[in-house]
Amino acid sequence: MSFEFITEYWPLYLQGAGVTLLLAFFTVLLGFAFGILIAFAKLSKRKILSLLATTYIEIIRGTPLLVQMLIIFYMLPAFGVQIPNLFGIAKFGDYSLVVLALVINSSAYIAEIIRGGIQAVDKGQTEAALALGMPKSLMMRKIILPQAIKNILPALGNEFIVIIKESAIVSVVGIMDLMFAAQQVRSATYLAFEPLIMAAVMYFIMTFSLSKVMQYVEGRLAKDATH
Amino acid sequence: MLHIKDLNKSFGKNHVLKNLNFSVAPGEVVAIIGPSGSGKSTALRCLNGLEIHESGTITLDGEVLTHDEKSLQTARMKMGMVFQNFHLFPHLTVLENIMFSPINVKKIAKAQAEQQAKELLHRVGLADKAQAYPSQLSGGQKQRVAIARALAMEPEALLFDEPTSALDPEMVNEVLQVMQELAEQGMTMIVVTHEMGFAKEVADRIIFMADGEIVEMGTAQQIIEAPQTDRAKAFLANVL
Repeated sequence: MSFEFITEYWPLYLQGAGVTLLLAFFTVLLGFAFGILIAFAKLSKRKILSLLATTYIEIIRGTPLLVQMLIIFYMLPAFGVQIPNLFGIAKFGDYSLVVLALVINSSAYIAEIIRGGIQAVDKGQTEAALALGMPKSLMMRKIILPQAIKNILPALGNEFIVIIKESAIVSVVGIMDLMFAAQQVRSATYLAFEPLIMAAVMYFIMTFSLSKVMQYVEGRLAKDATH
Repeated sequence: MLHIKDLNKSFGKNHVLKNLNFSVAPGEVVAIIGPSGSGKSTALRCLNGLEIHESGTITLDGEVLTHDEKSLQTARMKMGMVFQNFHLFPHLTVLENIMFSPINVKKIAKAQAEQQAKELLHRVGLADKAQAYPSQLSGGQKQRVAIARALAMEPEALLFDEPTSALDPEMVNEVLQVMQELAEQGMTMIVVTHEMGFAKEVADRIIFMADGEIVEMGTAQQIIEAPQTDRAKAFLANVL
């Protein structure tokens, strides 16, 4: 095995890793916002909303991300959805479509995490808030959600890590992420494994650092809770 | 101020409240006693709509309680509630627990709410705990904060749902003492309790419930010292 190619190709890897992190970041951010809405819909007393949310979650979790992504990536443009190159970013439309696919996928998982977190908050908290005359929206925003989010932070961090790894799939449609960089180096150098091993090492550095950061944050929160 | 007429409630096939009728006058302290499962807590929770009653009427200051959110909210602001397990908000400090609803629900200015919260903490003997979090307090202290939090909404009446049942024995008195002071200051109170000493000394009236019914109602002397029914006699023989 020879890893000399790194001296020449490391900027490509770094660029790819940057794209991977950016995709994961926007996916988590939007997936979280969207996930909260779906979680509320699922918890809603309105049967139709709850049923829609449940159906969405089951379908998304029951089909492969690759299939979802290809459907969105090829079907939306075929139905005339055109996203212009905003912010001077080349291929902005392509990036948007894969982020959309990743968001749709992760929001289903995040919704379930949030729903679990909300339901895990002691029912007494709801009763105490109601007994103090709080309207339901205020109670949810200021009493229930802060406690729920604190409880589910480990699971959300884990979801971030999952997205970093799963996002490798976007290389299939030509998004220049870390995986795509590895493939390019393979074809340029005719090396079969080494570029992939390099990509694996970089994925691991990202996920491992992130899990360490999460551990630190959890530790701080646990300390806050005990004061 | 509070009239309960023909109140009924079932959980599935279990008929837990059967035609309850009673009234509470302003400044009155009413203790509800009775064996576990007799419907005491459920009756109390119906009064501020934490449980939805099936038939009968609850009238508060001439307004019949309905189950739309506005009516419930109005009733809940008039009747504060203190729970067996305190239910303080763990992510807020003691002071924030007390100020939260006055600021966010009653829209009182923050400085004024803080001033009031500090006075209430002083009143329940916890002025030095304003910046503590609930997890740093003992059970008795938590319950006194919970009482201060309910008082901060300036309710016309307070509902207590077994306020000392979750406490270690040595902490029961500090909570009962705060409640007794409230009673002496003229607060209208409805207290579900197993503390017969408290019921006897503080309550103007005692309601004895069993199997979802009001079996006896009268002054402490009448109920505790001269119960009329077999069920009340049996219960009191066990707890006294």
